Amino acid sequence: MSSILDPIKNAISVTGDIVKFCGTVLGQVFGGRVFQFFGEALRQSGVLILGSALVIWSLAFILGLTCGIEGAYFNRSTGAPAFSGVFAAWCDLREIIPYSFGYMLSAKVGTGLVAEIGAMRITDEVDALEVMGISSMTFLCGTRMLAALLVFPFVYLGSIGAGYYASYLAVVQQIGEVSSGGYFLIFWMFQNPTDLLFSVIKALSMAFVIVLVGLYYGYTAGGGPVGVGTATAKSMVLNLVLVHVIGMLGTQLFWGANPRAPIGG
Amino acid sequence: MSESAEQNRDNTEELETTREHDSQDGGQGADAGAQSEADRKSKVRGPDADQDAVEFIDVKKTFGSNAVLNGLNLGLPDGQISMILGPSGTGKSVCINHMVGLLYPDEGDVLVHGESVPNMPDDDLFEMRKKFGVLFQDGALFGSMNLFDNVAFPLRQHTDKSEEEIGEITHDKLKDVGLTAFGSSMPNELSGGMRKRAGFARALCLDPQIVLFDEPDSGLDPVRTALLCELIQELHEEMGGAYIVITHDILSARRVAEHIAILWKGKIVESGPAKELFDSDNQFVRQFLAGEAQGPLGME
Repeated sequence: MSSILDPIKNAISVTGDIVKFCGTVLGQVFGGRVFQFFGEALRQSGVLILGSALVIWSLAFILGLTCGIEGAYFNRSTGAPAFSGVFAAWCDLREIIPYSFGYMLSAKVGTGLVAEIGAMRITDEVDALEVMGISSMTFLCGTRMLAALLVFPFVYLGSIGAGYYASYLAVVQQIGEVSSGGYFLIFWMFQNPTDLLFSVIKALSMAFVIVLVGLYYGYTAGGGPVGVGTATAKSMVLNLVLVHVIGMLGTQLFWGANPRAPIGG
Repeated sequence: MSESAEQNRDNTEELETTREHDSQDGGQGADAGAQSEADRKSKVRGPDADQDAVEFIDVKKTFGSNAVLNGLNLGLPDGQISMILGPSGTGKSVCINHMVGLLYPDEGDVLVHGESVPNMPDDDLFEMRKKFGVLFQDGALFGSMNLFDNVAFPLRQHTDKSEEEIGEITHDKLKDVGLTAFGSSMPNELSGGMRKRAGFARALCLDPQIVLFDEPDSGLDPVRTALLCELIQELHEEMGGAYIVITHDILSARRVAEHIAILWKGKIVESGPAKELFDSDNQFVRQFLAGEAQGPLGME
């Protein structure tokens, strides 16, 4: 009996540890303690922008292109090619761009945090910080969380832009069955600033969870290089699960009861 | 100091002789059995707040079922180079972690300049740690920074000095350890010995009152070990303070130690001035300091 319950107990214990850890990190950020290392937070912001923005925007562009092509051909088959902009508006803003943002952050930023901080942990660099009188939690985790807060809203807005532009290229320039004006008429009709806000909330929720999970697994890594590898894999699995949970909850909450579309008068 | 710490301190002498020999000898050392309690007391230096930089008072620490520190009583004097010697896996590095508050004892107390480390609030603990410079086994340099930035890091974090002043101090410290030409090198471009020296420079840059060395000789060839020991001595003569070296290298102990404590099975077997320890008639101490196979210490 106990062996059946062990994994459940373990999962609850890990969840409790993660929640406690997240509370501490967020306390460092919102309590203002992290600002004593604001320079480091800015450096981490630079690392995020230079290391992640382009690859995230590239993925968003590719998926926006795909979404535009599929939407255009589907609408042509139903005899309504002028409505191709609906796909771009909904598919891009509500689902594809948030998910692509979550996937790429999990793969690039989340695992990067685990590997970097985990390696620092096993080579005594975290202890070295502590014995210098510097809180490693604030310096390593608080600054990276603050950097994420500073950078990701803009990176995400850039992703939406990349996705939109790619969809426009696919529908109007590549397939070309709808004029630019006709495309934008429908495209903007099927979204408004509230949708944009919901999309940003959904994607940034994913982003901050991904960063927190990465920080947790990195900061608590142990057991040498193998331990860091295991922690990296665990963080990736958990982040992918959480990205989909947040995606599903976001869609249900924001658009589940009301499609927020000018359909049916 | 807390009342319990005071009580612990009062009992120190008695606790210090908590008969390591009972556990050490295990029936092997007939001489040790005959040794009087008074004799042994005189050869174990207990905590003394007037002179000690760091004191362990009846410290116990267990990891799972493994009792690493088993009622450790130890005083490490200020102004001297002290060495904690002992076989591998006997709790030497755990001692360092207790001194700087990276680990807390399950029982007992650890005092740094008379202040209880386990009872410090976090902010006081971070402040207290500024007294320390620590040289980790592999240097623990930050892999994302070059050597210059590594050494300058504590100055940038803890002082309001201008970048020019920081540059001068950093340059001086790198010069002290013979690494001026490598300021722009990344840690992974350096040899193990160079990383240790760089770690030493970083440990010294805030002019700490206590410097801890965790096995500074590990992985070094005998010549470089000798050079590092020389460097430790020179810098101690220049800067003073308490230098505490964790090692199991007897040659290093002969070269630099002024005070020696020998740790085994989580307790101090004997401690005192280096000369006295090297003349000790304790079987374990004699075996360990002579590096002989015959004696109370076996492979177990």
